[in-house]
Formats: sequence, structure tokens, C-alpha cells
Amino acid sequence: MCSQMIACVLIPGFPLRAALEARPSLALRPAALAPIEGTEPLIGPITAAAEAAGVRPGMRMGEALATCPSLVLVEQDPAHAEQAWEEVLRRLEDAGFAVEPAEPGCVYFETSGIERLYGGLERALRRALAAVGSAWDARVGAAARRFAALAAASVARPGQVLVVSDERAGEFLAPLPLGLVPLEPSRQQELRELGVRRLGELAGLPGAAVAERLGPDGRRAWSLARGGGKRRPRGRRPPAEIAEALEFPEAIDNELTLRRALGALVETLLGRPERAGRFPRKLAFTARLVGGGSWRRTVTLRDPTAEAPRLRAALGPKLQELPGPVVELGLELVELTESTGRQLELVPPAGTDLVDRLHDGLRQVRAATGTGSVCTVVEVAPWSRIPEARALLVPRDE
Amino acid sequence: MVRTARLAGRVNAPRPALVVARFGGEPTQVNRQAIAVVREEWRVVDRWWTEEPVSRRYFDVVLESGQNAVVFHDDEHGRWFTQKA
Repeated sequence: MCSQMIACVLIPGFPLRAALEARPSLALRPAALAPIEGTEPLIGPITAAAEAAGVRPGMRMGEALATCPSLVLVEQDPAHAEQAWEEVLRRLEDAGFAVEPAEPGCVYFETSGIERLYGGLERALRRALAAVGSAWDARVGAAARRFAALAAASVARPGQVLVVSDERAGEFLAPLPLGLVPLEPSRQQELRELGVRRLGELAGLPGAAVAERLGPDGRRAWSLARGGGKRRPRGRRPPAEIAEALEFPEAIDNELTLRRALGALVETLLGRPERAGRFPRKLAFTARLVGGGSWRRTVTLRDPTAEAPRLRAALGPKLQELPGPVVELGLELVELTESTGRQLELVPPAGTDLVDRLHDGLRQVRAATGTGSVCTVVEVAPWSRIPEARALLVPRDE
Repeated sequence: MVRTARLAGRVNAPRPALVVARFGGEPTQVNRQAIAVVREEWRVVDRWWTEEPVSRRYFDVVLESGQNAVVFHDDEHGRWFTQKA
């Protein structure tokens, strides 16, 4: 049973838990994750106190507040959630698990390689729980198929390990609620009206009839209710660890200033020695908003490049998606490709020698005086009538 | 995650100054140096729509030592500063 098992570590409501790290007192009060501005006003994950008050995840905001007037809406903090999730994944990887994250709060890994290391499946899964940490109330499910592992983790209690053998997977899944399969709420309602409320009831229907009535999504849900596919998890490539951030003395919302800051960040990141000549393929753009929230966008480049103008051109348009004034702008090199070599010029263009000497001089000054001693003057609002608002001094450590 | 946060500094940030002024607000001394002539005077009123409005009265002066200086009175906080305008 234990040779080809897939484990699923689940942290329900992870984005809410991450957002509550800054306000731990709310964890015991009725609270829900607020919807992102501009999206449908449906609340996200909720706390146990909110659930006890009759609130349900996915409820309309107005309905939720009418049900529980003391409900606190917690602003999303995607940048912090992603960072906290990355820390969880790293702890699992440090413990030897080759993880394949599905979404923040849900990760799969194969147990066959690690069982021997920890002396059995149960011990390995306990070790995974310990690696995640008790603060997250994680639970682990293991089964021969991915969906069965997820279902096992979904019904397990916090800190519990639930192993389902392949022979008993059908029996285990049958009484579980239909809500476990990823299906549109309207489709779920349609099935309920047809009297199908449990996974076993869905699995017992003829596949062709389900596909005809509910389309490809219904067919997939039917397949999952019967245990789902046996695709093995593939360990991810850990992201790079190079990040830079620029804090502003005051909230900034004009695009020119932000573009200048982006330029400075790109230059500084490309100059970091940890990059070791590798080319960025994927970058993450983060911002801390003036109200306390955060913002994050990732950009994957078609051709990896270390040319600052091309990186600026790729990242610049994302600035228009910023929802409000920012107090900190950050840039991370998420994925780097190996150096592929570069064709050098036979005769260097005129002026190269002078630029090289200047860079050497700056390097020596930096070595003598420390990080942050060499700065670039970046014009941010040259038209301003307030002299100190016209330019910023941005540290340069290339 | 190796993350470095850097604080962008200001260019031409105002510096507090010790200024002696006449009743009408015109300075006569800057940092214990007497003023020979006031070359120019102007007002900057900005950001009045924010919680940090700016209301300044600038003076471009020549000190008795021959040195040029720009000082302003911050009307919001009632203090004097020097600045490279």
C-alpha cells in the first residue's frame, strides 16, 4: 500500500490565515477575507467564529454582513501570503519532500522516496506536518491518487494524518459531500436538485450521461468522484532568492515616479552578485500599498534577458494595474536561467573604456565606504514647485 | 529570501535654520550671519488638498560674507529652513 502513495498537505483558508498574521486578535473573532477590489463582492475564507455565526465562504458581502453584523472584513495581502507560503514550501523541501504546490495552502508530494528516510509512511507524514509548523493547523491526507489524498486531507482534523489505501478509496470517497469536487456552484446545485449529494452518488452515475448533462467539467468531476487520475506529483524547481525593495518617504502614485523607481530596482537587481551571470526568466513585482495592503504581479519573459531596457519594457505596463498609492515597491527574480554565453564585440565601441573606468572607480568607493554609499539621482517630479520633491537619491550597488 | 529594503533619500531636503526676521516676516539674519540684500521673494502653496499641505515663503538672500542663501518660512509649522531651491 505504501509504495506509490501521494500525500497532500492542506491548510484551509491559507490567504486569510496569512492576512491575520498581522492582526492575530481577529483570529478568534468573526472575520472573513474581503474580495479584491473590482471583482465580484464575494467573501473568501472565514474564521471559525464567523462560521459559528452562520457566515459561509463565497457568500455575497452584503448577505454575510447581514448575517453577522460584527463580521470583520480582512483586506487581502497577496504578497505576504505568497511569502508565507514560500516559507512553508521551503521548510518542507528542507525536510526532504519534493513538493508540487497546487495553490497557496495545498501542496502534493510523493512519499515513496522519503518513507525510508523517516522509517515509514506515517512517520514521514508526521515529519511533514512538523515541517509546516503547528501555527498553520495543517492536515495531511495520503492515498494512491491525488484527489483521494486531497479528500483525505480535507476531512482530517488539524494536525491529523489520514491515510487511505487504494482498495478502500471508493468506500472512503462515497459518503463525502459533493462540494469537494471543483465544479461551478450552479452545476453543484443542478446535481443536488437531481438528488446527487454525495461523491458516491455521482460516481455511480453513467459517465456518458454525466458528460452529456454537465459537459466536460461534469465529466471531470465524475472522474474525480471515482478516485481521479494517478498522475504523480513532480517536485518544483525552487525559486531564486534575489529580491530588492525601495521604500518611499511618502506614498507615491504618479506613474513617472514609479517607472523611475522600477528602473532603479532593475539596475540594482541585475547588479547583485548572487545572480552570477544568469538571466531572469520570471520576475515578481510587489508593492506595499498606503492603506496597509499589498499587491503582486509575476511576469514571465519569452526570452530570458539581463538587459535593463527590455526588463523595464516588460515590467512597466504592470504599474498601471496598481490599485492605489504605494509606500514600497519591490522586485524579485523568481526564476533564473543558466548563462548561455554571449557574443562579444571584436572591437569595443568608443567610450567603453571610460565607462569601465568609471564603474571601477565606483566599485572602489563602494568597497571603501560600504553598501548604499553610491547613489543615483533619479528625477521623479522635475516640474514640482517643492524643491525636495523633484528628485530622489537611490542607492546603487551594481 | 534575501531581501534588501533601501530608503530612497531626498535631494535638496530642507535644513532647519536660525533666522531672525522683521515684523513683516523679512529675514535679517540667517544662522547668525547678517543679510546684505534680499534679492527675491516668492511663495509656494501646494498640496493643499492633502493632509500635508505646503505653504512656504521663500527668500533668496545675499549674506554680508557674500555668500548666497535661500531660506523659507514654513507657514504650516512656523519654522525657518534653508534649502537649495
